Amino acid sequence: SRENAETDPTMHPKPENAITIGVSARVLFNMEKEQHIYEQQGMEEYIKYQVEHETQPFSPGPAFSFVKALEAVNTRLRELYPDSEELFDVVLMTNNHAYVGLRLINTINHHELFIERFCMTGGNSPIGYLKAYHTNLYLSADPVKVREALEEGIAAATMFTPEKMTEVSETQLRVAFDGDAVLFSDESERIYKAHGLDKFFEHEKAHENKLLDHGPLKGFLEALGKLQKKFYAKGQRMDCPIRTYLVTARSAASSGTRALKTLRSWGLEIDEALFLAGAPKGPMLEKIRPHIFFDDQLFHVEGAAEMGTVACHVPYGIAQRVIKRETHDKETSSAPK
Amino acid sequence: MSVDSARETLYHRGEADMVATIQNTDVKQEDAHGAVVVAVTSRALFGGDDDDDVSGVGVAFPLLQALQRVNQRLLEKDPAESLLFDVVLITTDSQQQQQSSRIVSSTRHHGLEVSRFCFSSQEDFIESLLTNNVQLFLSTDRNEALQASQQGVLSALLDRQGAPSEQLRVMLCGDAVVRPDAGPAPVSRPAAESFSSRLGEMRRRFGALDSPLSIVLVTSSGDRESCGVALRTLRSRGLGVDEAYCLAGAPRSPILSLLRPHFLLGDGVIGLED
Repeated sequence: SRENAETDPTMHPKPENAITIGVSARVLFNMEKEQHIYEQQGMEEYIKYQVEHETQPFSPGPAFSFVKALEAVNTRLRELYPDSEELFDVVLMTNNHAYVGLRLINTINHHELFIERFCMTGGNSPIGYLKAYHTNLYLSADPVKVREALEEGIAAATMFTPEKMTEVSETQLRVAFDGDAVLFSDESERIYKAHGLDKFFEHEKAHENKLLDHGPLKGFLEALGKLQKKFYAKGQRMDCPIRTYLVTARSAASSGTRALKTLRSWGLEIDEALFLAGAPKGPMLEKIRPHIFFDDQLFHVEGAAEMGTVACHVPYGIAQRVIKRETHDKETSSAPK
Repeated sequence: MSVDSARETLYHRGEADMVATIQNTDVKQEDAHGAVVVAVTSRALFGGDDDDDVSGVGVAFPLLQALQRVNQRLLEKDPAESLLFDVVLITTDSQQQQQSSRIVSSTRHHGLEVSRFCFSSQEDFIESLLTNNVQLFLSTDRNEALQASQQGVLSALLDRQGAPSEQLRVMLCGDAVVRPDAGPAPVSRPAAESFSSRLGEMRRRFGALDSPLSIVLVTSSGDRESCGVALRTLRSRGLGVDEAYCLAGAPRSPILSLLRPHFLLGDGVIGLED
């Protein structure tokens, strides 16, 4: 029956029809305390603590408001297209042992989230499962897993917890993207890194009409655009519950043209394009208040998080070579996620 | 062990309708109360290409190796451990029965620790399961498995699978663990509960990481609530779950090659591809 659409598993969209978003436990919920126990005292103590606190729900993590906004979009889609399976499907994709499973299920119940699918891999890599279920976007706190996912062609980003949580809309999903090495390939960024800003502007002007190659999150923007068109088709352009933003260091006067032309040729619309010409992104993002922001440069991600935006690092392209050299000692893959 | 004496036993009893069990004196016979007796059919174990003297291995081979690894790890922790897997090989195929010595020597050749060899007719094999106190029967033949299950013996199908894992991976079907409106409980339910409890005890000998066995729960059509109920039910039977997958209607086959179970336990008999 219609009213059970959200919780009736037989009405749950088939993976190939839905836009599948995989989220790890640590980004969906706040598990800082437990993560600390794991790091200081080891796996057995961590599991013991989790089981002892099984009936205590976790509080929301950085991905929580994003997931709630996805559900708001689903509700609107179901109203307009009751028989369609083109919906967001949020899957909990965690490395955790199933011993933590009941606490996670209790928490999902407590917060009334519509998550019916999950994989608790007990320490095994979740990447194969992401692929098996056509995952369109994977969010995790673990940069190693995120990189693995990107290497397998899955859009993925490492989510950071902002220092303060800016209030975001409960009715309109807002997604902000950096341009180079996120929506587009890193080809232009390579020029910038190798030859500096002037050469970059020169190069972009000269190649204004040459399309940029696509980056890892192009597919996700495409999926959002497809859903937006469904609202437009029912006359809801002004009231569309999905809004997308390009927040780029390119400048409107010169290098921005190539970006816009590329998007247009891909048949993709972006609602607002913000060309900062190198200015910091934090303040602009604070005005936009997206539920999620994707950037390939840690510098921008951290800056955004400092100002209250849920920012995610896409470890793709030339910008990572520098980061890798600096931080490879500090990088670890920590297990319960 | 004396295969000649085994043969003599068969001939002496006019083997056509009788059940014969031969103990393998090369392998330590497990404490009858401590051990978890697992029976496998010869057809499942020896299905591969044959040499002149030795039978090639089949689908059940990686499973037996995994069971042995669990035993090894258990004994490493406690040399006096009695909660171990005890493997019994059941031969009902009359052609294979003519070659009883070949079965025994092939077992030894492949380094398998089988404690008892049972030879019986197709009609009487269930009797040998019961007299040997078999707690889990594994076969590649669905009918055989169903028959045994209907007589109260917990049974599972062995399917051909991809690259097997070294770790023993037991998959449980969540939808079968809890069926709120099912009729009378299946005949094999008590056997399933007791096996779950023993398996759980064995699992608890090891920590969360680096365990030689893993319990994998897959809920195919149920929602998260039914998965939660399955987790609680199994816990109440003494079986902790390591990995849990709630598919809410998504197909199981894309992840079977990732899950790599050796077999699937459910009410009745369920194949991996079902």
